Amino acid sequence: MKQVLIVDDAVTVRLYHRHLITELGYPTSEAENGVEALEKAMQASFALMLVDVNMPKMDGYRFIEEVRKNPDLQSIPIIMISTESEAKDIQKAYSVGANFYLIKPTDPKRLQDLVTLILGQSKQEI
Amino acid sequence: MALKRVQTHVQPTSVATADAAQGDQAPDWQTLIAHLQDPQAHTRRWAARELANFVHSVPHLFTQLDRETDLKVQEAIFCSLQSLGGPQVVEGLIARLNSDDAGIRNTVIEILQTLPEEVAPHIQDLLAHTNPDIRIFAIDILQLLAHPCAPEWLLHVLAQEQHPNVLGTAIDRLLELGTPEMLPQLNALQARVAQTPYLKFALDAAIQRIEDTSNAG
Repeated sequence: MKQVLIVDDAVTVRLYHRHLITELGYPTSEAENGVEALEKAMQASFALMLVDVNMPKMDGYRFIEEVRKNPDLQSIPIIMISTESEAKDIQKAYSVGANFYLIKPTDPKRLQDLVTLILGQSKQEI
Repeated sequence: MALKRVQTHVQPTSVATADAAQGDQAPDWQTLIAHLQDPQAHTRRWAARELANFVHSVPHLFTQLDRETDLKVQEAIFCSLQSLGGPQVVEGLIARLNSDDAGIRNTVIEILQTLPEEVAPHIQDLLAHTNPDIRIFAIDILQLLAHPCAPEWLLHVLAQEQHPNVLGTAIDRLLELGTPEMLPQLNALQARVAQTPYLKFALDAAIQRIEDTSNAG
């Protein structure tokens, strides 16, 4: 089963994204910051990561850089989801290796459509 | 100008820094300021650490922080600034909440969380800042700020804030900091957030968590 890693320091954001992803039928795992996320990514297999920008210990940009440097993780698709909506923020996300960028507050349909597109299966097909 | 030494001298930790320290004699302030711009990162790091002993180092540490690219040197600068503390440090840190470097921003938040009395006079200005990202960072600071007014400041955000992401951050913090006495203010938000799915979800979760905690207690 394809699993999604949700990385965000806000409890309610993790709960909300988990709710939206599990509605699609995919299991999730969660991390509060980049350090915890890297540990989880090394221990389990993930088909997709949703990553916040501003987090303690290791921010989202640095986490993505670490993922892209790691041969075992570098091909995992990443959606960066942030409150920051300026062009420079979006450019920075793509420059470090994010595949997609969504602006908070997350539009539920947009996130679910994107996850379905990336993981290639609808709820019914799983 | 006489420079005040504020702490016990810390011994240098590498060959290069030992050279810089010139034997057993503690380095003077001018030498350390010069070494703060050394081409070698380990020398800059040592100088940054040593400058925690001098109260007049604050502007120089911030100047170096703004151009420093080595993460370990940045970390040493932050440690020294945190050790020095005081209004000048707090004002300098707050100014860097605008940094383009997310790592800098997040470290600034973590340090400000440890300086409740010095940060308190700035909180209301930060919560009223024109940039919503700064208002979000102010709420991030409140999350772990051990100050008795923190819950009151968060309730003020609930009552006044219009930006969904700032409001969402406040609700998120109240999920952990909220008390049963705050439930009327949270319930009063229901109508305002009904059209924003994340906010509605977050508010329901916060209210549920507070009620569960209250019932369990």
